[in-house]
This record gives sequence, structure tokens and C-alpha cells, in this order.
Amino acid sequence: MIKLVNVSKSYLKNFKILSGINLYIEAGEFVSLVGQSGSGKTSLVKLLIGEEKVDDGRVIIGDWDITKISRREIPYLRRQIGVIFQDFKLLPQKTLWENVAFALEVCGQPQSKIDKVVLSVMRLVGLEDKKNRYPHEVSGGEQQRAAIARALVHQPKILLADEPTGNLDSINANEIIDLLLRINNFGTTVILVTHNREIVNQLKRRVIAIEKGCVVSDKEKGKYLL
Amino acid sequence: MFLSLMRIIKFSLQDISRNIWLTIATITILVLALLSVNTLLTVEVLSRHAIDAVKEKIDISLYLKVDASEEQITSLKTQISQMSKVKQVLYTSKADALRYFREKNKDNPEVLTALRELGRNPLSPSLVIAPNNVEEAPQLINEIKQIDSNIIESRDFADNTVILEKINDITKKISEVGLFIIMIFVFTSMLVAYNSIKVAIYTHRREIEIMRLVGASNSFIYLPFVLSAIIYALVSVVIIVIIFYPFLGILQPYLEVFFMDYNINIINYFLDNFWIIFGLQFLSVSIISVLSSWLAIRRYAKV
Repeated sequence: MIKLVNVSKSYLKNFKILSGINLYIEAGEFVSLVGQSGSGKTSLVKLLIGEEKVDDGRVIIGDWDITKISRREIPYLRRQIGVIFQDFKLLPQKTLWENVAFALEVCGQPQSKIDKVVLSVMRLVGLEDKKNRYPHEVSGGEQQRAAIARALVHQPKILLADEPTGNLDSINANEIIDLLLRINNFGTTVILVTHNREIVNQLKRRVIAIEKGCVVSDKEKGKYLL
Repeated sequence: MFLSLMRIIKFSLQDISRNIWLTIATITILVLALLSVNTLLTVEVLSRHAIDAVKEKIDISLYLKVDASEEQITSLKTQISQMSKVKQVLYTSKADALRYFREKNKDNPEVLTALRELGRNPLSPSLVIAPNNVEEAPQLINEIKQIDSNIIESRDFADNTVILEKINDITKKISEVGLFIIMIFVFTSMLVAYNSIKVAIYTHRREIEIMRLVGASNSFIYLPFVLSAIIYALVSVVIIVIIFYPFLGILQPYLEVFFMDYNINIINYFLDNFWIIFGLQFLSVSIISVLSSWLAIRRYAKV
């Protein structure tokens, strides 16, 4: 469950990037967060992963009020929220397997667990046979799938996908959306941040529209109307 | 825990190897800083030895008349011993003086022959007075000058305190200049270590970003950089040990000639105090490097 209560955020004086946001997202929902560039979507993502702090209001994830989260607690929050981005954020000198394993290595997991978990998420995203390839040796879609696999290694309750199809052609984009839907079917809450009208309209899931830092529309089985 | 430590070491060694030229530059500066510290330490040790040698020579001799009786001498000795600034008074009788003289000149047959031809003991008995405190020697000399005794033949007040003052002065100046040089090196070392870690962070910015994204603990992100700083310190101290002992080996024969009558062995001094000297240096350089790294991490790695 994600709950935002009257959340405001500004980077400049007299200019609020988010203003009075109230949202409630149930556990296991698939939500599209839509809006034009600069509308405040990415700022909202940053608040959810503890990269930025709210100026006003509260952000609650599960039973956890992360509004006043300490620096020490942020890593634990991030292990519960998987994040993927438009630019994949893979390390070019590591293979796809190593990229995924890296997320567990840096959290101090034992090698036996890493091998087991990485294998299962690589299977889930369909990259089992390309695990030893480097990012530049695979397509953009496959790179994004590797990024999704990495986001899933901690078995997060929430998956935040910030413009995951932005760098992909329509075939690869659809594959990624299918993968996100499959992950959602396992019970993971998926928040898809996008401005891709076609994808949002195909999904027929809940759509939250943001404009100028405010929620202007929130509809079950909605459409991209901005 | 052990696994995390091994991974931190792995990441740290990656930092160092990926920025090898920067590592070399950092270690060079640290080695130069340590070289200045050790050179100053050598000067300090030598000047301390020189001061001790001069201090040993600071005593006051009263030569007594040949016909002075033992009672008169004992009475004078007691009088002087009771002075507050006197540490001890040593009485050398005529016979003792002759024995010391013969011993001292045993390799000089001409002197011994002349003494034999003289047919009598020409030496006077004496009282050698050691001051409690070298700094009080001038006042003690004044007090001794005022002793009115008809058995005193002559008074040797060779004033070594002037030499001592000069040595003290030189040592103080060397220490001041050395301290200034060390301060410059410490500051430079901090800047260089800070910049090295800053560049290492820049080189690893993508890894750091991903580490933060996937929930790596803060300590896992910054510890490799801190460890790199400690490795810089360790390597610099090892290098300084390797280059400084041969340097001392070259210096030692010259010191033996210069301090001919005094047993000075600078190599032994550095060997006897090896762990204190180089352990402290390792600790200090580690603190400097870790502090600089910490500042760089706080600023650039946003941990």
C-alpha cells in the first residue's frame, strides 16, 4: 500500500513541482502515472524511493512513514522498491548476469543465494540464454529486461518503472509491458511512469494524470487524456 | 561479514587499479611528507645526543692546594654539597689524579717519561662539582666564586652553557622550520588524497548510483574508498621504510666520525623504535587520508 497525504515539493522558491498530492495505491495494483515532461512524475518517483524529501505532507509505504526517513534506513527502503529507468542503468563492463548479481553482492548476500536468485529472475525475464552477454551485445529491450531482473532480486513489494519504454521500439516496448503485467500478476505493485499514450490506452488499468504538480485525474481503467 | 569485507577489499583494489596514475601521484606525495618527517626526526635525535654530550661536560672543577689537609678538603666538600644547586661533589685526591693522568696518557711515552723525571706528583687534588640543573650552572658558578677558602688554588669555570644554548637554539629553529614543512606536506597530502578519492568516486559514479538504487548499505558504498585511503597510507609507509634505512646506512659512518667519542647509532635508534616511529606514522597518514576521503565521499558520493 502506498499513501501520499497532501504532499508538496519545491526545488525553487515560489515554484512547487508537486502541490497537495493525495494518492492511495492498493497493494498489488498496476497504476500508470502519466503527464507531460516537467509535470512532476519523476519527482514523485524520487520521493517514493527516498531520494528526495517532501516539503509538506506524508508518504507512507506499507506501515512505514518514510517522510522522515533517516539516511541509514534508505537502503532498506530501496530493497523493498525495485526501480527501472529509461536508460537501463546497467554497468557496461559487467555481463547481464553480473549486473543482476551486483545488486545482491553489494547488499552482502552469500554467493549461493546470489546464484539461485539470479538464475530465477533471469529465467523470469527470459534472459537465461544471454546471461553471459555484455549490455552492448544485446538489444535495448533485453537490456531493459536485465534491469527489471536486477530490480526484482530483492523480491520487492513495489516496482517503479520510470519511462521504461522510452528508448525502445514498439515491439520491445510491448514485451516490457507484458513482463511488467506478469510481475504484477505475482502480486507486486507496479507503478508505470510514462507519457506513452498508446501503451496506457492498451493497458486499461488505473491511470493517474499529473499536470503542473497536481493530480488532475485518477480513473480506474482509465485512458491517457492529457 | 567476512564476505562483505572481501567484497569491500575487491572494490577497493578495483579503485586503485583503475586509477593507477592517480594512486602513484598520491603515494608519492605521502612518501615525500613522510620523508620530511623522518628527516626532521633524525635531526632531532642527533641534536638530542649532541646536547646530552655537552651536558655531560658541564661541571665545575676546583683545584686545591697541594698541602691542603684531608680535614680541610672534607670540610669544603661538605660545604659545597649542601648548596641547593649542587647535584654531587667528587673528590679526586693527588694520588687519584696521578693515576687518571697516567691512564689517560698510557699511549704517550714522552709524557710518562717527563713525569718520571720530575720525581714527584705535580698534580693538585680537586673537587668536581656537578650542577643539579644545567640551566642553573651560571648561578652556581657565582656562588662558588664567593666561597672564601684558603685551600682553593684555582677555579675552572669553562662555560659550556653557551654551547648548550647555541645547540638548543639551533635545534629549536630546525624544529620550527621542520614543523612548518610538515604542516605544508600534511595540507598537500590532504588535498591530494581528497582529490584522488574524488576522481575515484567520479570513475565509479555509475556503480555508486546503482549501488544506492539497489539498496547497498551506506557503509558498503563508502568503505572501499576509505580502505583505498588506508592502502595509500600503508604503501607509503612501506616505501619510506625501504628507502629510509639505506639512507641511514649512508649517514651512519659520517655520524661515527662526527660524534667520535659518543656512541651514536642512528640505525639502531630507528630499529629499536621501529613500531613506535613507523606505526605512528602509518596511523597519522591513515587518519589524514581517511579524513580527506570521508570529506570527498560526503561531498561527491552523497552517501
